[in-house]
Amino acid sequence: MAKNLEKLGVTFETDVLIVGGGLAGNNAAIAALEKGARVLIADKSSLYRCGAIAGGVDHFMAYLGTDTWDTQEAYLEWVGRIARGVVNLSVQNAVFCKELDAAIERMDRIGCTLKQPDGNFFRTQSLGQPGPYFINFNGKQLKPLLAKEALRLGAEVLEKCSISGLLTEGENVTGAVGFNIRNGNFYIIKAKAIVLATGNTNRLFENPSGLPFNTWQCPANTGAAQTMAYEVGAKLANMEFVRITVVPRGFSAAGLNALTGMGGKFVNASGEEFMSRYHPSGNRSPRYKLVEGVMKELYEGRGPVYIDCRHLSQSDLDHLKRTLGYDKDTLPDFIEQKGVDLGKDLLEIMPSEGMQAGPSEVCGSGILIDEKTASTAPGLFAAGDCADQMRCVHICTTGGYLAGKMAAEFAMGSGKEPKLLLPQIRELRKKAFAPMRTSGTISYRKVEDTLRKMLWQNAGPARNERSLQVALEKLEELSQCFKEIRAKNYHELMRVHETHQILEVAKMMCTAALARKETRFGVYHHRTDYPEVDEEYEGQIVLWKTEQGMKTAFKKLDYDKIPLS
Amino acid sequence: MPPVIDVNKCNGCGICDFHCPLDVIHFGEGQRFPVVKYPDECWHCGSCRLDCPVEAITIRFGPEMLYL
Repeated sequence: MAKNLEKLGVTFETDVLIVGGGLAGNNAAIAALEKGARVLIADKSSLYRCGAIAGGVDHFMAYLGTDTWDTQEAYLEWVGRIARGVVNLSVQNAVFCKELDAAIERMDRIGCTLKQPDGNFFRTQSLGQPGPYFINFNGKQLKPLLAKEALRLGAEVLEKCSISGLLTEGENVTGAVGFNIRNGNFYIIKAKAIVLATGNTNRLFENPSGLPFNTWQCPANTGAAQTMAYEVGAKLANMEFVRITVVPRGFSAAGLNALTGMGGKFVNASGEEFMSRYHPSGNRSPRYKLVEGVMKELYEGRGPVYIDCRHLSQSDLDHLKRTLGYDKDTLPDFIEQKGVDLGKDLLEIMPSEGMQAGPSEVCGSGILIDEKTASTAPGLFAAGDCADQMRCVHICTTGGYLAGKMAAEFAMGSGKEPKLLLPQIRELRKKAFAPMRTSGTISYRKVEDTLRKMLWQNAGPARNERSLQVALEKLEELSQCFKEIRAKNYHELMRVHETHQILEVAKMMCTAALARKETRFGVYHHRTDYPEVDEEYEGQIVLWKTEQGMKTAFKKLDYDKIPLS
Repeated sequence: MPPVIDVNKCNGCGICDFHCPLDVIHFGEGQRFPVVKYPDECWHCGSCRLDCPVEAITIRFGPEMLYL
């Protein structure tokens, strides 16, 4: 068996395999290693700079007990209100609240404190929060510091590795296969437990800048986890929402929180502060409301729209200038090269591209997890933006860590040695390299570009039953092109795999969007044929693979009781 | 078209290739300096510039982004 395996590829054996070494995956690795498990992390990049916070991050949401709004109860009450209809409060309590204190302490310990040099927290309020929940901090070195901690604890890392499929025996997950994106080495990994942590799905919708890799979140994140989990029968939820944000015109960069948190105002062409017309919280409204406001101003002819920071005090402007690059390292360069001075000029903004991600900062979209971060497939755990209850820096840090602990416990508690099946590995190997062998001549980029345009048209910020059905029909037809997509090298092979994942996520999104016959989170799921919020839909659309195709079911959620234990 | 690598400053350490999350920068055998092989796939995350030990990398945005 071992010899036959070695003929097929390079083999590895571990207790916990972590797919995706970003914020959640790296925290999972640290937790599993602290539990004494052997850990292998596979990532398409290096562990030092991978995932959504590669170049840095600047905010961490937390309650700190300083006031009535600053407690676990107040936080969960707000979460239940702002993310109603998708958020599971019992899971939130487990993946965030119970892990919060340890996470703040851990960040201190690894050398990336959440405090300012004077020892205090710098907190700001935005995106519909009842008080200043966002802690601003300097997270430019957070990713390399987390990497160093995992390596210090003994993590093994497979860099430049694209994981292309999961291995199963019966319903149990037993490992994964992948390839090196530079030299094409094929990897076969046997694992007792797996944590999927590959983030949300980008490059999914047409990009307003016309540049598909100019995305708000990491464009290397293309739904690998969601696709692979679906393939082995795990359930997914909250997949219907198209997340959009507001970005500087021309550059889909993070940094909105920093600007609005400091008091930046949204203004239109005539200088009117328009957000108060859309939501009582005005400039500090929930994100989906900001997007709706900006879109309406533009499409109804009151654009261009801007963020105005000219009224800020010199000390606030200095703080902003010093810290704006913490979230997106190159945003200060962009603003400077545009010739904009935030103290004197307006910064023009636009809606970003759409993406598959949680509809709120406090709820995710993706693989359905329970209070232990376990998916419905035995041995398979999910963490970070690819899990249905995790989103944003705070939950990816706390929930990632919990996923590592739970996966390690599962791996070390199972007496059984995972069994690998040779025919399954041969099949996955053939499938992985098929785009290198095809006689077809279509480029991945062409298929992706078509998909993005078509999906924005039919399943973007306005969708209805017919448009979603049309989208599904066209996605099916695009799937038929797949055998003709050619990869000229292993870098392109990685991209073709990503295109496949994007396409599969698009199908899940349209199917789930058809099942939710209401509008929720404004433009994030705006059914023009069901334009109102319907209380009957306070719950999740769950989807999974069956022999007859994709199935959905509605799972009601309870908001009557706030879990505090 | 970011990033821009100044070959007069580059010491050939290869960190930019190793750390680039998008596999945009390649520094293979037989090359004297790393090259920005897939500029259209850059995320502008700044990781290469942050980690370059000799400050050989600058970020220059193109007209397609600055003047949209």
